[in-house]
Amino acid sequence: MKKYRNFNFICGAVLTGFCLLIVLTGLIRTPYDTTAMSVADRLSAPSFAHWMGCDNYGRDILSRVMEGMRNTVWIALLTVAIGTLSGVVIGAVCGYFGGLLDDILMRVNDVLFSFPSILLALVIISLLGTGSLNVTLALGIAFIPSFARIVRSEVKKQSALEYVESARLMGAGHLRVIFVHILPNILPVLLSSVMIGFNNAVLAEAGLSYLGVGVQPPQASLGRMLSEAQSYLFTAPWYAIFPGLMIVLMVLGFALLAEGMTEA
Amino acid sequence: MLLECKDFGIEFHDHDRPERAVEGVSFSLDAGEILGIVGESGSGKSLTALAIAGLLPRKKLKKEGEILFDGQDVLRMDRKALRELQGDEICMIFQEPMTALNPTMRIGLQVEEALRIHHREMDAAARRERALSCLADVELPDPEQVYESYPHQLSGGMRQRVMIAAAMVGGPQLLIADEPTTALDVTVQAQIIKLLQKINRKEKVAILFISHDLSLIRQISHRVLVMQNGRLVEQGEVEEIFEHPCKDYTKQLLSAIPRVEL
Repeated sequence: MKKYRNFNFICGAVLTGFCLLIVLTGLIRTPYDTTAMSVADRLSAPSFAHWMGCDNYGRDILSRVMEGMRNTVWIALLTVAIGTLSGVVIGAVCGYFGGLLDDILMRVNDVLFSFPSILLALVIISLLGTGSLNVTLALGIAFIPSFARIVRSEVKKQSALEYVESARLMGAGHLRVIFVHILPNILPVLLSSVMIGFNNAVLAEAGLSYLGVGVQPPQASLGRMLSEAQSYLFTAPWYAIFPGLMIVLMVLGFALLAEGMTEA
Repeated sequence: MLLECKDFGIEFHDHDRPERAVEGVSFSLDAGEILGIVGESGSGKSLTALAIAGLLPRKKLKKEGEILFDGQDVLRMDRKALRELQGDEICMIFQEPMTALNPTMRIGLQVEEALRIHHREMDAAARRERALSCLADVELPDPEQVYESYPHQLSGGMRQRVMIAAAMVGGPQLLIADEPTTALDVTVQAQIIKLLQKINRKEKVAILFISHDLSLIRQISHRVLVMQNGRLVEQGEVEEIFEHPCKDYTKQLLSAIPRVEL
């Protein structure tokens, strides 16, 4: 059993490390300018000059995959940060104090929760407009309900334990009890939901960009590359394969990592 | 007089019909005294203790009478004033030392908690010194190591000692012990009782000792209250109650103590 857990964890760590390496390399430099076009290289197959081939404008796919992954990771991180921070605050207040405020906030939460998060994000984007900043905001808001719910139930569970009562008896104020005493105890649960949330955010961002409402051209995005590659699926399959593969690797790596950590 | 409870009562209003949990309880506690409260489950002894500690919920509950601590009514104090008392003047130790400590915090930090809240003028080194001396006072071997430990690394008896150290760190006047030995095995029970007696003598702290175990109460208390169904049945000096009980309920309780006859 222990070996199995390590296997999950190690695979996840290797895949995530590989993806991070690509992102970090892309931060320093990409093999080609991500927007440089060259007519001669249109839809050319993978070669030593262009490891992943070129797209329909003759742009280097590897360079664009690097940039796309960077955008995706960035958006996913911010999304999860927005969702987690707001979710923790809302969930902790609801779970700790309970009462009318809890009822109201949780019913609002239920309404938000009943929309699929992509749909909710689409509604918010249609209000705010497209672009990577708005996508981040929209996804972040769409992610709040699930985090709030998890944190609320955990805080409620912990509040009933005696150590919380004994902290209150020491004269600790509500905020101190929530953030100093209770929060560290829900971190394991929170951490695994953050990791799952990150994966969902990667997929949601790719989905929104595929639909054309996410990252806007000329900036590269994995989802957008997939949708553009549809027309060339048989003439230039590498155009679709590499961005798709990178999404799969990123999500799979992180999921395995999360799995390995929660089983620890 | 440190604590005076006058005609204290609690009525719960969280169901259709109001339910009386405690009624007409009056007693007093002098500084440095050990007062035992004995009674069966549901006799209202723990609720009385929670009320004195200011831990009763504020809603769905009617409180009657007064509980005066140093002349101030704990039942009707605003929360800020109450927090000034809690941890500094009034402290409490619980039945389950397993769950009463925060599993993710080092022992040292938990012992220092009251100092961090009530004595902000102390710096980290002074707090640490005070915490270590408290850990030594409760006769824990190697306080330095305990200071750095997490609760799961300690045994039940050690954890209860840590709880006592954490309660004593601010130098309180009143220590409420709600069945502090029930979860421990008999040898450890005896050690904790001895420790509480020693602390009572040395630090001059008054102890409100709650238990359903008559022999423990007899061993530790100066005076005893006997409670049943939320009412005070009898109170008096410990030997008087045990040798000459006046009320039937007390007699029944005493006759229920199992005796080993050879």
